[in-house]
Amino acid sequence: MSNILSVRNLVKTYPNGTQALKGVSFDVKRGEFLVVIGLSGSGKSTMLRCLNRLHHPTSGEILYTDKAGVEHDIAQAEGNEILKIRRTMGMIFQHFNLIPRHSVLNNVLYGSLGSTGSLRSMLGLYAKEDEKRAMEYLRLVGIQDKAHFRAAQLSGGQQQRVAIARALTQSPDLLLADEPVASLDPATCHIVMDYLRRVNQELGLTIICNLHFLSLVRQYATRVIALKGGKLVYEGSPSDIDDKWFAQIYGEGAKEVHIN
Amino acid sequence: MAQSTTMETAETGAAVRRTILDAFVGAYLIFAGLVFTGWGEADIVPRVPTLATAFFGVAVLMAIVSVVVNKTGIKTLGWQIYAPAHLRMKSTEELATPIYRTFWGMQMILTVVVTTLVGIKMTEIDVLKLLEADRFYHAMRLFGELFSPDWSILPKAIVKVVETIYIAFIATVIAVPVAFVLSFLMARNIMGGSKLGFTVYAVLRTVFNVSRSIEPILWAIIFSIWASFGPFAGMLALMVHSIASLAKQYSEIVEGIEDGPIEGIESTGASRLQVIWFAVVPQVVLPYISYTVYRWDTNVRMATILGFVGGGGIGVMLAEYNGQAMWPQVGCIIFVIAAVVWIMDAFSSHVRAAIK
Repeated sequence: MSNILSVRNLVKTYPNGTQALKGVSFDVKRGEFLVVIGLSGSGKSTMLRCLNRLHHPTSGEILYTDKAGVEHDIAQAEGNEILKIRRTMGMIFQHFNLIPRHSVLNNVLYGSLGSTGSLRSMLGLYAKEDEKRAMEYLRLVGIQDKAHFRAAQLSGGQQQRVAIARALTQSPDLLLADEPVASLDPATCHIVMDYLRRVNQELGLTIICNLHFLSLVRQYATRVIALKGGKLVYEGSPSDIDDKWFAQIYGEGAKEVHIN
Repeated sequence: MAQSTTMETAETGAAVRRTILDAFVGAYLIFAGLVFTGWGEADIVPRVPTLATAFFGVAVLMAIVSVVVNKTGIKTLGWQIYAPAHLRMKSTEELATPIYRTFWGMQMILTVVVTTLVGIKMTEIDVLKLLEADRFYHAMRLFGELFSPDWSILPKAIVKVVETIYIAFIATVIAVPVAFVLSFLMARNIMGGSKLGFTVYAVLRTVFNVSRSIEPILWAIIFSIWASFGPFAGMLALMVHSIASLAKQYSEIVEGIEDGPIEGIESTGASRLQVIWFAVVPQVVLPYISYTVYRWDTNVRMATILGFVGGGGIGVMLAEYNGQAMWPQVGCIIFVIAAVVWIMDAFSSHVRAAIK
């Protein structure tokens, strides 16, 4: 399978001097469910945000092959090019990042902001097709009956599903997920992860997902990379992470917690 | 490397600020002390240039003292205020020392005490004056007349107070859209991204901080000449002040919003305008309404005073009767103003409570 992303020597230093990423390189294959693990502060979130330029990398390359087969260096993109790249990548977040006072349907429609003109979107004039697609994806994540509720009225797990539907409405090439289940209870957490797997398998969407729990990683990932102190320390299959690797990634004395 | 340099810059900056603050506090204490002990009792005005030079001289001396004191490890008030976070680690001994026994604590307490003493002297506080039989009798008569209002002017007062409410309302209504647009241009988190953005932010902040520090009554004086006496001048004065105040308050709301929704909308590839409209505006709209209602309420109160300088409304009436010492009529007007302010206040607090 071809690479959708090829990250080379990615470095990110924040203005206050913190070095979040110290030269990270890895490839992402089209259609895989890649999970990134590591402690809080290991650079996972920064790495993911560099991929869609919510954060701007200090140096390095992010080579990205879009649907048409054209290669871009995301790290070098500027202005409107960044917006165009973002449109091809959906993203979901630990705290869902919906607009709480707006309706579920509107939140999903915001996935098509990129393809709708500023003025049209501000007047709420979305294309009929976008509206149809938004409802379709709400159905896919099983909350079509909540379409006209305010997002804030939904439970955490439901809000994350709205966020997935929003990302899907972008018709993305790639889905970035930053700790998508870290603020959910264990039962809900599997529901959300199952939807992500469905999206990955049925829609063939490539997923890059940051996770805390190793048990989830073994269950859902097709491949794993691990970050520690801003460096890549592991790359391989989820089943190969044994106690030795676990101690290396999470530090001696860490104990694995299972979530079933 | 990069990290240590930024830390060093922060330390140097903090040291400079610390020294300046200590220098001025020290010089102030010495001069205030001199004033209190009666020095300069004679006409002080012609000696201002000499005194100013002396003041800066003493400040330089105090700056040296501050540097020396800090060198010995004793922390001054300037250090306490400006020290960067990474130097603020306190030893258990320091934590156990009560504030009034630390050097900076004593510096602070001394400053407050000296300022209070000088203040009492300057305001010429004289309680006995209030109790002199003659003055007391006059005051009581005035109160008596105020409390027996002349209700015959009530209809006119009501007409005029309604005018005042509308002046305040129009000033607020015109100010809102202007302040709305300005609030985003004056918010650091929106404008801080680029050099151009930051320049716009800094210029607007400065301009509006200055115009906000000019009280509406001064604007009313200017506009009553420019636009001649009347409600229009009063409205313009309130409008200018409202724009500056609302833009400041609104922009602070924008600066306090959550990043999550912004990231959420940004990640879809939305334009800058769309991000503001869909992620920022929904977060600020209710606090904006709340501040706006409060502004209207404040404007009604201010508008009652603006009449004194020709701003129209009930203030003009108040100024007329006040000038002729017609206390029963003034009493009636005060009653009307108090009633309206009370109603507006109740109304605005109800609206704000409902929005929360």
